[in-house]
Amino acid sequence: MNRIISLGESFPTFEKTSVTSLEKGKEFSTLSLDQQLGTGKWMVMFWWPKDFTFVCPTEIAEFNKNYSEFSDRDTNLIGASTDSEFVHLAWRQNHPDLKGLRFPMLADTSKSLAEELGILEANEKVAYRATFIVDPQGIIRWVSVYDLNVGRNVEEVLRVLDALQTDELCPCNWKRGEETLSISDVVEA
Amino acid sequence: MIALENETLQNLISDLNLTNDTLSDHLNHLAINESKHLRDLRINLKNALSFSNLTRKESLLIAFSVAVNDRTKNLADSLESLARAEGATESELAEVRACVSLLNVNNVFYRFRHFTKKDYYQQTPAGIKMGIMINPILGKEFFELLSLAVSALNGCELCVNAHENSLLQLGTSEARVYDAVRCAAIFRGMTVLS
Repeated sequence: MNRIISLGESFPTFEKTSVTSLEKGKEFSTLSLDQQLGTGKWMVMFWWPKDFTFVCPTEIAEFNKNYSEFSDRDTNLIGASTDSEFVHLAWRQNHPDLKGLRFPMLADTSKSLAEELGILEANEKVAYRATFIVDPQGIIRWVSVYDLNVGRNVEEVLRVLDALQTDELCPCNWKRGEETLSISDVVEA
Repeated sequence: MIALENETLQNLISDLNLTNDTLSDHLNHLAINESKHLRDLRINLKNALSFSNLTRKESLLIAFSVAVNDRTKNLADSLESLARAEGATESELAEVRACVSLLNVNNVFYRFRHFTKKDYYQQTPAGIKMGIMINPILGKEFFELLSLAVSALNGCELCVNAHENSLLQLGTSEARVYDAVRCAAIFRGMTVLS
């Protein structure tokens, strides 16, 4: 049995090829955890089982439609599956809803990342429909895992992200007698 | 203009039904400098229109009352047409305007009474007509909610406590009161830059 990686754990280290563009010569780039941490931003990584299937493009297009909602929340959005970068590229080139994608599609061809995350379905060895919210320190703050045929609600992901990011930093929120908080306390809490 | 290349600003404009040519220098300046606050502001405003204890129409009417209260005509016009699109009637919109006007009177007057606490001022009748409070077409409860929101903006303690109290007596939940005041507060963050 898989153990799905959970809250408070560090997101595993990875270095994978991703599809970032349809422009010739600029299709692929490498994505890594170090690079993600270097941006100082949050990360939402969402997984789907297989390219070229039906539920997926709708859901991926919905994430893409909300791309600026994520970027306004200082969040890097990454889509991922265990398909290779060439399959990703072919899918993007062929599906009208996927041509204008603004986020990278990560290719976990060796399935090592899905394995470490604990989201690899036992029989087919494809990823469950999992979504991770990872904070700028690389700590997993939210995990949702859906069965293969269940679509996601992007608004719910944004709602959770808002809740995680809305620390009440204003001193007028302190009650008398409480110790004052420093920003690092709040971030680490 | 460089500011208009800022995607956050463009989204803000479209969320609130604003137009490019009526944008304030303040917002343009935040956009040009890629201020983090502009992103937070947009998210807060968008969320404020979808709090779970208010309908979208109610949120828009509260936001509209803030824009009227704060004399931001362009924003008021935009919010008014968004509220219309959610079914707000002309007489309801007129009542929001009237409510803001009356509450501005009361906020100043009752705040004075509250500040001074002297018998003469407490006991002498105010002699101010407030006919619209009797049978509001928006309904007593929502009229109270608007009154509370405007009083919170204008900082009248007596008015805030009185309207909050009367809302709870009408059966309004604290969660709904909270959402209304949060919505008004967040829109103040927009009017001050408009």
